[in-house]
Amino acid sequence: MWSKKAAAVAGGALFLTLAGLIRLNYLFISAGLVMLTFVVLASFLDVWMPSVKIRRETTSDNIFEDGTMSVKFIVKNTGLGLGFVEIYDSLPPQARIIKGSNYTLLYMKPWQEVSFEYTLKLPIRGHYHLGPVKMRVKDAFDLFYNERIEDSIHSFSVFPEVEVLEYQIIKSRAPKLLSGAMPLNVIGTGTEFYSLREFVPGDSLRSVNWKALAKKGKMMVNETVREDVMDVILLVDAREVSAVGGGKDTPLEMSCRGAATYAKQLLDERNNVALMVYGDDVEKVDLDRGEHHLFKILTSLSSISPKGNLKLEIVLKDMLPYIPSGSPIILFSSLDDDHTISEAFTNTIARGYTITTISPSSLDFEEKMKRIPAEPLLVARMERENMVSEIRSFGMDVGDWRSDESVNTVLQGG
Amino acid sequence: MEEIDEKPSRIPKIGDVINYRDFLGEYPIIFGIKIISSLALIYVIVEFYSYHNPLDSLITKYVRGPLPGFKPDPAVFVVWSFIAGFGLYTFTLFKGKYKFFLFLITIFLVVQYITDPALDVQTGEHVIPTRVEIENSEVEGETEWKWKPIRLLYDDVEGTEERMDDTIIRSSNLIFGSIAFLGAFGIWKRKGWAIAGSIALAIILGFLYSPNLCLESSDADFCGYEQKEKEKTWDEYLASGVFIGMGFIIYIELSYAAIKYENYAEQFKPAGLDNSLLTDAQKKGVSRTLRTLFVSYLINLGVMLLITFTLAEVVINVNDYVANSEGRIQDSIELQGPYGIVFTSLIFFMLLGFVRMFVGADYDSEDA
Repeated sequence: MWSKKAAAVAGGALFLTLAGLIRLNYLFISAGLVMLTFVVLASFLDVWMPSVKIRRETTSDNIFEDGTMSVKFIVKNTGLGLGFVEIYDSLPPQARIIKGSNYTLLYMKPWQEVSFEYTLKLPIRGHYHLGPVKMRVKDAFDLFYNERIEDSIHSFSVFPEVEVLEYQIIKSRAPKLLSGAMPLNVIGTGTEFYSLREFVPGDSLRSVNWKALAKKGKMMVNETVREDVMDVILLVDAREVSAVGGGKDTPLEMSCRGAATYAKQLLDERNNVALMVYGDDVEKVDLDRGEHHLFKILTSLSSISPKGNLKLEIVLKDMLPYIPSGSPIILFSSLDDDHTISEAFTNTIARGYTITTISPSSLDFEEKMKRIPAEPLLVARMERENMVSEIRSFGMDVGDWRSDESVNTVLQGG
Repeated sequence: MEEIDEKPSRIPKIGDVINYRDFLGEYPIIFGIKIISSLALIYVIVEFYSYHNPLDSLITKYVRGPLPGFKPDPAVFVVWSFIAGFGLYTFTLFKGKYKFFLFLITIFLVVQYITDPALDVQTGEHVIPTRVEIENSEVEGETEWKWKPIRLLYDDVEGTEERMDDTIIRSSNLIFGSIAFLGAFGIWKRKGWAIAGSIALAIILGFLYSPNLCLESSDADFCGYEQKEKEKTWDEYLASGVFIGMGFIIYIELSYAAIKYENYAEQFKPAGLDNSLLTDAQKKGVSRTLRTLFVSYLINLGVMLLITFTLAEVVINVNDYVANSEGRIQDSIELQGPYGIVFTSLIFFMLLGFVRMFVGADYDSEDA
């Protein structure tokens, strides 16, 4: 292929020749022809294209949003040719290079192995890949070059950002056989204080509150909240409407971050967690626990893309028969464009489930992007507040999540 | 232990004033390539102007209207334009406030040079009547008329105007010197656009050249020749064109080589390391590799130029032979003219294209 330089030299040479013909100038003609001859002769030069083996070493297979990944790009010349090779490792468009470069020029000798490094930052969750690798070799005068694309792909996932929660997420009324760290709203053996009561025969002396004895003059014992393992369902709204805003500032992205944080916390406390994502249909990660299950949930969260407009009532009607009775459901939704929410909550609560709602406010994004005038915004805010109040009136927790708040503060305010 | 406070020196370090490392480069070979490129540039321009007398240019014809003293002389402007381009590069090496001071000093010196004759202050012997206060007068504030010597300003406005004209005429030489100016700046500052610009300007300036145009618009004294110069024969022109063409190739190749090898040197550094962090052994290794590459490049260039020159001469001689030998070809087409040489060259390129079908690199990456 012709390089820009070759095109410029050949173009200049042709111009000289033609200008010489127009002006009847022999000097121009011969100078142009000499330059043209040089370019034509250079095209006879053989452009070496190496035979290579490429591999990448990365600091981790998967990273979290805004996390960095160092990539060591190793290329080995498996042939006998030698010379300069330009190497360009293709990156996802969302990636930002914070150190080094994904482009390099290497001088390769036969059987030589050379490497270069760069560090990437990916701001948004998803499944990505590095590669393919573009290789370019030029002739001695940079007039002609040869390109090849090596299908060396390295796939990796960017998981939603996970925060460390400083409080217990939810309480359930449905105990399981195995004990865990999740407090239930039932009195039992645990560590979290529930109330004081008078001592009755059979109570352990360990549970006696000696300070209360000194104060009241009679034996009082501490009652604690029973801690048990629960089945928790994380329900993420991935409808098209959840993509309001841009980049990381969308209800869907916030929901994913929230769901990832809650999943981590719940699984760390040895609970069973399931993930359900609804948009144009419902995708599920079944109940399970452990590190491996967290990986499955994070991978699933990374794959979510906004689509469809399935209503919450339909989703819950379909899913409730498969959810263990009494299991808490945590809904991550902006509550936009769904007139079935009240009915969905009524039906679900009537069956004995609790729904905790974490609702990223899409209005903040609309306001930030100045897409919505002041008056309609005010009306929309009022409508949202009414919706939140209505859900609270069912006795359920609702976290009205503002765009600049962390996951930690969502339920604390509500 | 008493802490000894070291007072920072008032004299700034040379590295803080000027980026001299940029001039010298990290490796002597790159500095050497730049010098060779500069020499090639000067050679090309001198050669170019030996065939293109600037006085015969359309530019000279029209510039002489507003600037009657305009008389570009290649012996002067080539060197000075190169120095100006190099000076501009040197100016860019200065850092921060020093660059600004240098700029101010330059402006000040130019203005001072131009205005010096007009602002030349001298004391004269002239006296003029002035009303002065009477000393020891009985009436306070009483004055009288007296003859008092005063200073007069002798200004030489004509001198300033002459210097202004001289400065403008000297500066206007940059019209023809722009090839050297841009070229020098491009080579040393490693700017591809400046190098390409200098070549483009050379082509444009060459295009505006008309043999013996000077005598049509100016007198023989100005032009330096009384009668129209004898036209060179077409094969003399062709031969000189071959040298100019090769000169251009050498200039383009060497100036780009300076940029290319500097980039290569950058790539040889370990990832994320500054050159100063390389060990002596590593630096020597890089230097050795660069030297090997450059020597190999020069050999390639030399061989290519030799083949190009030989082929160009073959084409000219074949054209000459066919044009002068009796036969049907000579009767059917005028091979001694410019169209003749282009026609012969086209046949030659066609043959080369035919050979190229079977020899050389294949640029189809799938098949390669």
